[in-house]
Amino acid sequence: MIQLEQVSKTFRGSRQPAVDRITLRVKQGDICVLVGPSGCGKTTLLRMINRLVEPDDGMITVDGRSIAQMDPPTLRRTIGYVIQQVGLLPHRTIAQNIALVPELLKWPREKTARRVAALLEMMDLDPGEVGHKYPHQLSGGQAQRVGVARALAADPPIMLMDEPFAAVDPIVRVRLQDQLLRLQQTMQKTICFVTHDINEAIKLGDHLVVLKAGRMVQSGTPLDILTQPENDFVLRLLGDDRGVKILDQTRAETLMDPFADAAAQAAANGHRVQAIDPVKIALERMMLMNTDEITVCEGARPVGLLRWNAIKAHVHRISGGAS
Amino acid sequence: MNVIGFIRDNASLVLAYTGNHIALVLVVLALSLGLWISTGLLISRHERLAGAVIGLGNVIFCIPSISLFGLFMSVPGLGLGRRTATLVLVLYAMMPLVRSVHAGIRSVDGTVVDAGKGMGMTGLQLLLKIQVPMAWPAVFAGIRVTVVLITGIATMATFIGERNLGRLIHQGITRGDAEMIIAGALIVSVIALALDYAMGRMERIIISPGLQVQGGERPRVGA
Ligand SMILES: Nc1ncnc2c1ncn2[C@@H]1O[C@H](COP(=O)(O)OP(=O)(O)OP(=O)(O)O)[C@@H](O)[C@H]1O
Ligand SMILES: [Mg+2]
Repeated sequence: MIQLEQVSKTFRGSRQPAVDRITLRVKQGDICVLVGPSGCGKTTLLRMINRLVEPDDGMITVDGRSIAQMDPPTLRRTIGYVIQQVGLLPHRTIAQNIALVPELLKWPREKTARRVAALLEMMDLDPGEVGHKYPHQLSGGQAQRVGVARALAADPPIMLMDEPFAAVDPIVRVRLQDQLLRLQQTMQKTICFVTHDINEAIKLGDHLVVLKAGRMVQSGTPLDILTQPENDFVLRLLGDDRGVKILDQTRAETLMDPFADAAAQAAANGHRVQAIDPVKIALERMMLMNTDEITVCEGARPVGLLRWNAIKAHVHRISGGAS
Repeated sequence: MNVIGFIRDNASLVLAYTGNHIALVLVVLALSLGLWISTGLLISRHERLAGAVIGLGNVIFCIPSISLFGLFMSVPGLGLGRRTATLVLVLYAMMPLVRSVHAGIRSVDGTVVDAGKGMGMTGLQLLLKIQVPMAWPAVFAGIRVTVVLITGIATMATFIGERNLGRLIHQGITRGDAEMIIAGALIVSVIALALDYAMGRMERIIISPGLQVQGGERPRVGA
């Protein structure tokens, strides 16, 4: 668990604090996404967690221990860091770049080599093809994936990821996002993820922190923030399709009318979605089938009926009223 | 003019001079690399020293070599001979070497160093695993300039008793013997070129292929 307590930082020579009294808790196994416009202090906040930036004020603890008491290099070897500018070592091959932290931790050579190959594959890069190349021979998106692999190399319990997918094309980006979520189910790492893409934030975050000019504007689950934006700034950040985004974050079961009895259950029509599917998926299927209602199932068992009117009313209630 | 003929007729003398010349250059080079590369690394880590040290190197470099040889010759304990010659040439090598190391280290992309630091490298690891390897191209450029420079200036050490190729040139001038001058100059150039070539080969081995970006490839360092 990472905990920040009233943490502030003002860089020398600037009058405005880059990070202003931020209090934040990232639970073990959670992805916390820091989101906000350029210059709002996301990178600075992230870099305080591995002591690349020292706070002027406040306290940061990792698993209950204050990091100010730890030796910075030792601390950093337990925290994977994907830097915004990628920063691959140009004089080392891709394989050697990924092997950096294992090398510092003095892993046996074979264990490192196996790990490097596995990571390259995980990142959709061919180990035989890419491993021996040098950074200048990669595309921007490939380099960025190598940066992610390098951060994951020693399997650190904590990951700091600074816009790790910014330079990859939309298709690969979606794949990497999906993969991160899939891996996270088994890895259960504690992740701080920086992005200025609100869609990415909503998709990946268990917890969102909206920053503006160094201050925390709002924090909560994506659905909290979508349904109860704190102010106009957050509302604008969420974009014009807030209602649709809400439907993507809402499970079908929350808007369905549960079947009252077995008779209704038996009468259920043929079109179905799962109870945990987002309403957006249900909507998509309803439009495809040209129908106004769809059966919601738990596994094979029908549990309720989701109606077009219920969806409409829900979005209207939440976003129509606010904007 | 028959330069080849002159060299053949005075083979043993020319050979002895050439041997002395190369020996002096190699000793100076070995000492200079050790001394000035470490100095360059030191001032890269203590930037406050850099101005003064580089300034000193510049000043020494600007003193005409003949007067520097003369000056040190008169220092008690040095006198005529190899010791003074070596000392003066090492001092000449200070400027190009210290400067290229300092410039090389400073030119290293800050985001790469930052990444290394973020991965948990210590200060020494950053220096040895990132800054030095990335500074090699600049350092090698400095070393190659130094080699050529030292080989040339070594001829002046003949005035303080070195029996090297400078002697052929010097005597050729006093006797008005063009063949002798050209023979001396020619061999000095060949030595300089040969050493430079050897350095070029070594450079290819030491500098990472990742830094030897050929034309047509993207010279994107660190990203
Ligand atoms: N090393 C530094 N020295 C001085 N000022 C800095 C330094 N690093 C950041 N800043 C300033 O602190 C503020 C926050 O910067 P930061 O890099 O944290 O923003 P960011 O949210 O990551 O922005 P971006 O989305 O563009 O990466 C900016 O105003 C920036 O100019
Ligand atoms: Mg940033």
